[in-house]
Amino acid sequence: MDVTMTYATQGIWTWWIAIYLYFGGLGAATLAVTFLTDMYLKPHRKLVLWGAGSGVVLLALGSLMLFTHLLDHRAVIHILNPLVLINQPTAWIAWGTQFIIWMMAWGVLYALPYVSETPALQRLPVIRQLLAQRLVRGIAGLVARHRKLVGWLAVINGVGVAVYTGLLLQSFPGVALWANPGVPLLFTVSAFSTAMAFLLLLMYTVIRDAADDVIRGLYERIDLVLIASKLVILASLFFYLQRGSESAMRSWELLWTDLGWLIGFIGFGLLVPFFLELRGVITGWATRMPIIAASVFGLTGGYLLRHYFMYAGVYAYPW
Amino acid sequence: MTHYAMVIDLNTCVGCNACMAACALENQTPVWDEHKWRTYVHDNEIGFGEDTHRRFFPRLCNHCDNPPCMTVCPTGATTKQPNGIVKVDQNLCMGCRACAMACPYHARVDVTYADVRRGRDFYGSDYRRRRPSVDKCSFCDHRVAKGQEPACVETCVGSARLFGDLDEPRDPVARMVASGVARPLLPHIGTRPSVYYIDDLRWRG
Repeated sequence: MDVTMTYATQGIWTWWIAIYLYFGGLGAATLAVTFLTDMYLKPHRKLVLWGAGSGVVLLALGSLMLFTHLLDHRAVIHILNPLVLINQPTAWIAWGTQFIIWMMAWGVLYALPYVSETPALQRLPVIRQLLAQRLVRGIAGLVARHRKLVGWLAVINGVGVAVYTGLLLQSFPGVALWANPGVPLLFTVSAFSTAMAFLLLLMYTVIRDAADDVIRGLYERIDLVLIASKLVILASLFFYLQRGSESAMRSWELLWTDLGWLIGFIGFGLLVPFFLELRGVITGWATRMPIIAASVFGLTGGYLLRHYFMYAGVYAYPW
Repeated sequence: MTHYAMVIDLNTCVGCNACMAACALENQTPVWDEHKWRTYVHDNEIGFGEDTHRRFFPRLCNHCDNPPCMTVCPTGATTKQPNGIVKVDQNLCMGCRACAMACPYHARVDVTYADVRRGRDFYGSDYRRRRPSVDKCSFCDHRVAKGQEPACVETCVGSARLFGDLDEPRDPVARMVASGVARPLLPHIGTRPSVYYIDDLRWRG
């Protein structure tokens, strides 16, 4: 067809889906990293409680964001049933919903033994009543005996959520910015990078323990590698979009001429945290403020990535 | 097997929008919002000065053989029938709009709670819709089942829309598609549409 083309961005999935993808990736990766740390690096009650608590809350908030924007809220019941994966194995939202549900379930279970040995939580009315139940105490004991199994079930579902956020966008074939294999990679790496930033923020503010220096140092090193990976993926996306289809080129023009993307995301969201953490790893900082700043910048950058991705997707309509 | 398809001849579309009106009334779509028509005729001016001409471009669901709206649908509300028609079950659709994001032909439209309420007032007691969903063209499958053509095809004054069976070699639609005169939109995306267009520009010079 010799057609006149129209190029358009979309107003269907906007900031709220960016929040859904951001909270989903951040919450899932946070939970997965804290459980892996607890299982293999150092048993850490506070970290698990904060990680599981934050992860579950973030995922709940993200899911709520999607739920409130559904056209028919009652019909959501159809994807809560795990059998939906048999009927719709190609639908990433179906997978994502199941990953989120099971990650939250296994996450809460993994944290349960720690909850039962935390006096501050036992004083909370609802939790106190729950912990008094024989069934709950039995489950806590069972989880304590099979800690790694439960931990890995939560981690696998957590990784699934992080990967899903990118696969979802990749499944929209009309937009070159989204429909390429770099997107799931970028979103997965970004999810774990923001999780590292979030955990560093926690460990330099609310969980301040000198004995955790090894964990903090490891997190900083991992985050450095993750930010570097993001820069490499972004560089490949840069060249792919610049020399791609018209849809790709239009997205490239939208992104790489926008100061919010260039300075906000790439500058403050990637490069500044990278160099702050690099200096921390090589020579160390006299205070905790630079790493706190790097974490805040990294977390902001994580949202900006998803926000700009949603707004910069360009459809090529043949009319 | 039957494989329903449509050919749209851009040379004979006069932009009267009768297809839009027929579709809206037949399928009780939210006519009060221009973004929620199942089919829409775009009106473009092409060229400069005396060489300018208007192109009317009817758009609708392409009933793809490899429909991305169906593969992304988490509840299974969007399905492809054996006869090639892609349908939405409004009772299963939760309205996440992943299908609208996946469709490269801009063929999915929101029908909200507010639209359903307004539809009851606008269409009266005959209004069939009960729940919100992400709506789309159904090739008027309820008419096709009775041996009739889709409303947009039947009402087209210029015979710009032709409806037929791709699996019937003598069908004019199948012959136009087989000859290459009628071609699909955005074939590189791999959606394999069942709506084909006959180009107007090449004849106009």
